[in-house]
Amino acid sequence: MLSEERRVDQQSALTEPAAGRLATPDVRDEFGLETIDMNMGPQHPAMHGLLRLILELDGETVVRCDPVMGYLHRCQEKIAENRMYPAVIPMTDRLDYFANMHNEHGYVLAVEDLLDVEVPPRAEYIRVLMCELMRLASHIPSIGFLMLELGAFTPILYAFRERERIQSIFEAVTGARMMFHYIRIGGVKADLPPEIPQQIWDYIEGLEARFHNDFVDLIQGNEIFISRTRGVGKMTPEKALDMGLTGPPLRCTGVDFDLRRDYPYSIYPELEFDVITDTAGDVEASYRIRIAECLQSIRLIKQCLEKMPEGAVMGDLGRRLRPKEGDGFGRVESPRGEFAVHIVSDGSDTPYRVHYRDPSFCNMQLLQEVVPGHYLPDIMPIMGLVDPVSGGWDK
Amino acid sequence: MQTVLNLLEAEPIRLFLSFGVVLFLVLNLAAILTMAERKASAYIHLRYGPNRVGPRGLLQPAADVFKLFTKENVSPGRSDLWIFLGAPIAMFLPAALVWMVVPFSPDSVVVNLNVGILFFVAITSIGALGVVMAGYGSRSTFSLLGALRGAAQMISYEVPLILSLLGVVMLTGSLSLVDVVNAQGDAFWTWYFLPQLPMFLTFYIAGLAEVKRVPFDLPEGESEIVGGFMVEYSGMTWALIQAAEFASMGLMSAVSVTLFLGGWQPPLPFLDLGPFNWVWFGLKTSLIMFTFQWIRWSLPRLRMDQLMDLGWKVLVPITLVWLFVTAGAMLVIPGN
Repeated sequence: MLSEERRVDQQSALTEPAAGRLATPDVRDEFGLETIDMNMGPQHPAMHGLLRLILELDGETVVRCDPVMGYLHRCQEKIAENRMYPAVIPMTDRLDYFANMHNEHGYVLAVEDLLDVEVPPRAEYIRVLMCELMRLASHIPSIGFLMLELGAFTPILYAFRERERIQSIFEAVTGARMMFHYIRIGGVKADLPPEIPQQIWDYIEGLEARFHNDFVDLIQGNEIFISRTRGVGKMTPEKALDMGLTGPPLRCTGVDFDLRRDYPYSIYPELEFDVITDTAGDVEASYRIRIAECLQSIRLIKQCLEKMPEGAVMGDLGRRLRPKEGDGFGRVESPRGEFAVHIVSDGSDTPYRVHYRDPSFCNMQLLQEVVPGHYLPDIMPIMGLVDPVSGGWDK
Repeated sequence: MQTVLNLLEAEPIRLFLSFGVVLFLVLNLAAILTMAERKASAYIHLRYGPNRVGPRGLLQPAADVFKLFTKENVSPGRSDLWIFLGAPIAMFLPAALVWMVVPFSPDSVVVNLNVGILFFVAITSIGALGVVMAGYGSRSTFSLLGALRGAAQMISYEVPLILSLLGVVMLTGSLSLVDVVNAQGDAFWTWYFLPQLPMFLTFYIAGLAEVKRVPFDLPEGESEIVGGFMVEYSGMTWALIQAAEFASMGLMSAVSVTLFLGGWQPPLPFLDLGPFNWVWFGLKTSLIMFTFQWIRWSLPRLRMDQLMDLGWKVLVPITLVWLFVTAGAMLVIPGN
């Protein structure tokens, strides 16, 4: 139960659709209506990872939604302080386990910011190639998750079929299906196996051909899908900026922001791609954005494969890395938004402090702001809009 | 010997035995349907489905039942035990009872009630009671929400369900299911689904909602309330709830076949199989059940407010309008 002044606060902060759904205080007093406290998660089959939501329900309408995090906390930042610079890379794989390549890339960019390393162009192309494949392997399942949360079980299996195939490519390139440890300081671990570029090309062509059929046709025009997602989780661009959202949740409100274009890193300035925005700012818009971004990723992968230069894949580094004193900063556009790494170096071979800015964590505050006033079943599509990953928000 | 046969033909015993046979069939139907459901879903999902127990996995239901029998029945500590344990029975009995009036073929029907349709309507309504009992007896928030949703949904969709039956009753002039089938004739263009197409579709949709299948499975709502009213059940009580769900799904298919798709009647006159006409009934019922499963694995779920909108603002007006159209047509067209 809420204290009275907290309740007044919550009521005034309620979003648009709540207006007609909640019992007004006088009605509540007259009939002695009470709200139900409900605990959703952390062991909830449909919850994204280990998230606990403390809900207060007025019938089916959510009055309050407090996310509780920390059930998967592994002290990643502290562990990083005790490991040498290259040895932190495998730990970053464990952060957002749906965007491992982006985590590695972000960390490596931060370390390279401290060092004076020249990364060979071929390594940069391979990094971008891998990151865009990873984006596909993250966006496609998140479309599947959204449908799963709406009660349709089938799309997730189609989505995971694609993810499995991309993982097989990763396995051939890096030797691992999820925890790659592939992007290294100064380059990448190894060159692509000779037959892999052709394999990726064939796979991408096939995916492009069946993408519309498998992930758009049955979903986009479905009346139930539209009625469940249109106007749900609606945000204004101002509110999205205030909350510090990034990635699809920000772009679906119409804010045209993508690190790959606005703060370019690696070889993105040399590649052609569009930043997708949508003005609706609801769950349906985030679905459309993910679909369109998948197609942009396909475009980027093709360009990478076409333009890939020959040469070494590893820059010239000393045996033991001792970056100069100071701050290193790296930020990449992960599938969920901005993944940034801040490293403070004291000149030794281990970082003095590492901080990860994970998009799952920052986008999560959307729940507290947007969910109140929606119906209980709307929580799940809104989770699909944010698409947080438990390893990301808990670090 | 003769006395035994005479005894068998005595009405109470005949009723008892044939209901036993029907109950046996219904329980097996539920087991077979779980298998069909899993195989159909596997086909839709690009999977294999169960394929380990027995030839092509066909003995999987038997293994499942064995597992469920040997499982402990866990009940929540604060649960209202009698209500909690009574709920699965209150759900299963109505679903099984209505099978008594469903005609499999002209001769094989347990009781040819002259108010069969009324019996169907009356008994299926009791199913909502079981859902409420399960939700209330479990004393869990998830169950309570599921039960409230279930009660609201089943009671609301009863209205279009009953209204959509009335067209058939008007055309037949009888409430007996056997009469309804006899009136439809042995060719598919004389069956009632053509003149009563809106009613048939309404009955189908309301039936889906009545048996709590996707897109109307809000009482279960596994992505938000994790199974709803049945979240606290385990072992045989859970199996009984599942059996009730599958039995009522089969029942809804059987009744829609009986009312709108000519029951045991063959689709074309020369396909008449005589005493084996129940094959047609079985085929049509299976077809409808397959469409139920097809929908189950293809569509997302509605939300409570949208469900109510669909029921009261779309289905009820359609049935009311078509009721008047039917009545008008019966007045205008002579000999009907």
